[in-house]
Amino acid sequence: MKVNVERSLLWTATGAFVLFAIGAVLTTIVPPLVSKDMQVSQYPLHEYTEQELRGIEIYKREGCVYCHTQQIRHLESDQKRYGWRLVDAAVSDSWEYVNDKDNFLGTKRTGPDLARVGGKYSSEWHWAHFKDPRNMGEKFPNRKGIYERASIMPSFAYLSDEEIKDLTAYIQTLGRNKNWRVDENGVPLNDYEK
Amino acid sequence: MKQDTAAKTMVIASCLYFGLALTMGLLTALKFIVPTVGEIEYLSMPRVRMLHTNINLFGWLLQADMGILFWILPRILHTRLFSEKLGVVTGILYNLTVIGGFAAIILGHVKNVEYGEIPPPFDYLIAVCWVLFLINVVGTVATRRVKYLYVSVWYALGSVIWTTFVYLTGNMFSQLPMVSGVNEANLIWFYVHNAVGLIFTPLGVAIAYYLIPKQLDTPIYSHKLSMVGFWVISFVYVWTGAHHMLHGPQPYWLQTVAIIFSWSLIIPVMAVITNFFGTFATAPRGLRMKGPIPKLLMMGTVYYIFTCLQGPFQAIREVSEIVSKTDWVVGHAHMALFGAFSYYAMAGVYYVAPKMAGRPLYSEKLGDLQFWIMTLASIPFFAVLWISGVVQGYAWLNPANSFVETLEAIRHAHIMRFSTGGLIFLAYFLFLYNVMQTFFGKYGETAEKETAVAE
Repeated sequence: MKVNVERSLLWTATGAFVLFAIGAVLTTIVPPLVSKDMQVSQYPLHEYTEQELRGIEIYKREGCVYCHTQQIRHLESDQKRYGWRLVDAAVSDSWEYVNDKDNFLGTKRTGPDLARVGGKYSSEWHWAHFKDPRNMGEKFPNRKGIYERASIMPSFAYLSDEEIKDLTAYIQTLGRNKNWRVDENGVPLNDYEK
Repeated sequence: MKQDTAAKTMVIASCLYFGLALTMGLLTALKFIVPTVGEIEYLSMPRVRMLHTNINLFGWLLQADMGILFWILPRILHTRLFSEKLGVVTGILYNLTVIGGFAAIILGHVKNVEYGEIPPPFDYLIAVCWVLFLINVVGTVATRRVKYLYVSVWYALGSVIWTTFVYLTGNMFSQLPMVSGVNEANLIWFYVHNAVGLIFTPLGVAIAYYLIPKQLDTPIYSHKLSMVGFWVISFVYVWTGAHHMLHGPQPYWLQTVAIIFSWSLIIPVMAVITNFFGTFATAPRGLRMKGPIPKLLMMGTVYYIFTCLQGPFQAIREVSEIVSKTDWVVGHAHMALFGAFSYYAMAGVYYVAPKMAGRPLYSEKLGDLQFWIMTLASIPFFAVLWISGVVQGYAWLNPANSFVETLEAIRHAHIMRFSTGGLIFLAYFLFLYNVMQTFFGKYGETAEKETAVAE
């Protein structure tokens, strides 16, 4: 039997579907089966508290992900820029995200990456920064002069005090599935949480 | 029910959403220059951005494409729409759904899916509308009175089938309780990339495959190229989602697969483009650029080439290192969805509106003016975003540049984006005025109304 695809609704539709389905299955269902790290972690992971989960909802609702990525890529520039006290930020691995029901890997960096931001700034700093994003705090005492107020982050002063606390609690967990911010003796380099 | 009621409803509604989407875009651009503008919860920058993308995708582009296809398909297939009533129901339900979805976004009820922020139940309703559309498309093809299926019909069929799965994967499967982290990101990227590649590309190409030969009164350049384009794209497009996450935390092999298939995308794109340009080249000289329709189709095709060559280029690991996560990507996305596919959709609206109204377009001159303003504004609009992306990408390489410093370095681009975007916004009103006058205005000329088959 000779099939003329261009005369047949059934063959055109089936052909288009089958060709599509091959790639669809191999790029969506197969990857987590082959690379198990995408869905299971062999290392202990932080379990989010009630408060942090509320923070995640706020992070999602306010669309933080549209300007802030959460991934230290396998690039020296990422590791250096988002490092701390001359310690390079550890590269983000698949397993670190397993507990994140909502992933905030992100696509655009209008603001800096937040993958390793947990613990870098005090919660008070975050509070002031959410209220007035142009306020970079004493950490940057006019370090770059005119650039200090160049941030274009929107103000989140409309969030309630509780909401800012929840959001900050979540942000302080970011990047801590790897304990990377230590000096050569394993002593934490973090001022706020010593 | 009167023929083409469904098409008319969706085309008119989509043109109104286009303006709303551009308003949101302009507001976002303004907030990049003056971040303190409109500092209230419902107009915060991320929400306005979500509205901008969602209104553009679902209010304007998808709806315009559906409306235009409701008109085109019966003409190609020499029959009536399978069910005009079902079409009208689809149109009304779809509009109520997207309005509900946009309201939910403003109020902060969102899904964490880029391009799929519209939350349940509205996203499920969009899927329902899509299935209703699928039934109508397949039904119209099944009740056709011609033997052969034209290229546009292949693309329409492919699109309704692929989109069903692409939409469900991104909006429903990615939200299942056992899906999290990088696995979820992979499913969402599958959706985001294929939303452009397997929803808007085939719908836009289907429209162009009908309009170019019709408008130029010339047969399509090569049937073989049509086949190559369609069958290769249905195989290769779907693999490329992971190229958005190069160097990131997902498996290295998956990134490599995505890069290889991104490059193979050049094959179907070049086939389609050669076909379009071939048709333009063999058309009678006087028709090639007469009025806004061929101009929009030509420029849309030019943007289509650029966006589709830029895609594989960005998928090179070394290039991605610089341009990924910068404004470059924003420029690329705008060239695909605004430059290529909105141009095709506008050409489609200009083509079907007079046919439905039963008289010529209100003003071809106004259409030409709109085309030139939009085109001359959109070229620098895209270009400044690429320039800004490259500047910022290189600036990030040096850890001594503080982040705000790299942001200050691209301020000029944000100002240019706002001003050229403003021109695009102004040109939109010429488009809207022209289309609305054609439908509802008071001017004399009447022409033969083109019906698919006798009433």
